[in-house]
Amino acid sequence: MEHQLETIGRNMFAIFGVMALCGAAFMVASKSAVHSVLGFLFAMLCVAGCFLSLDAEFLGMAQILVYAGGIVVLFLFVVMLVELSKFKEKGVFQLQTRSAVIAVIVGGVAFLAAFRNLLFGAASPEALVLRPELAQGLAVAQQNAQAVSRGLFSDFLLPFEILSVILLVALVGAVVLAKTERV
Amino acid sequence: MVNLNTVLLISSILFAIGIAGVLVRRNALVILMSIELMLNAANLNFIAFARHSGSVSGQAFALLVMGFAAAEVAVGLALVVALYRKRDTVQVDDINLLKG
Repeated sequence: MEHQLETIGRNMFAIFGVMALCGAAFMVASKSAVHSVLGFLFAMLCVAGCFLSLDAEFLGMAQILVYAGGIVVLFLFVVMLVELSKFKEKGVFQLQTRSAVIAVIVGGVAFLAAFRNLLFGAASPEALVLRPELAQGLAVAQQNAQAVSRGLFSDFLLPFEILSVILLVALVGAVVLAKTERV
Repeated sequence: MVNLNTVLLISSILFAIGIAGVLVRRNALVILMSIELMLNAANLNFIAFARHSGSVSGQAFALLVMGFAAAEVAVGLALVVALYRKRDTVQVDDINLLKG
């Protein structure tokens, strides 16, 4: 029992990753938009689990808050607003499915050709372990959130401020785009 | 523990599913969700490489990407709602005003 639990704990990332892939595939393949949103929610929660198993606790929690708490609810609201059952889908998939499949196959082959040595070669990189310098930094910072905020407010201060302006612009832009016309 | 290859493989498959969603589906909402999926695949890579290279910069940048994704989805959904008001559809096939 203990041994099995240990195995599960060691493979936590792969388990969450495969579950996220299943949720994503369900999202793309399902016909109803509400089912798509639910698949998306499941995939996002599993990606949060992946973040947690990669020792990024703060990002995992932020992922759950931002996606499950904000974006999925927004999507559900819009699905409710646009009343999708009114128009019939001529088919789930677009006309250019054939060219899309060809593009994906070409991309996959190019990816494998480029990263063949990295993925399957003998000199595949070592397992992800915490580097000593990061461990030292974490020991100073005590917590992942503190370490991330150190990075965010020292190296990424300018992008952070730009992001805040962009969020303001997006807020105003969304209001302007979605507001009803003057009567 | 976690192998870098596993992370790369899973995130590339996630990205491929996102691309397939954008190219293949005709519902604008599903296309937006697929774009979010691709951003998440990129975030996964950021975090894996942050851990691999021993710095938290990747995690900080992933947080920024998350903020950009939220801004993008707000504008995208506002566009979908405006489109529905003007043209009464959210199917991208029916939006052909720019077609010559």
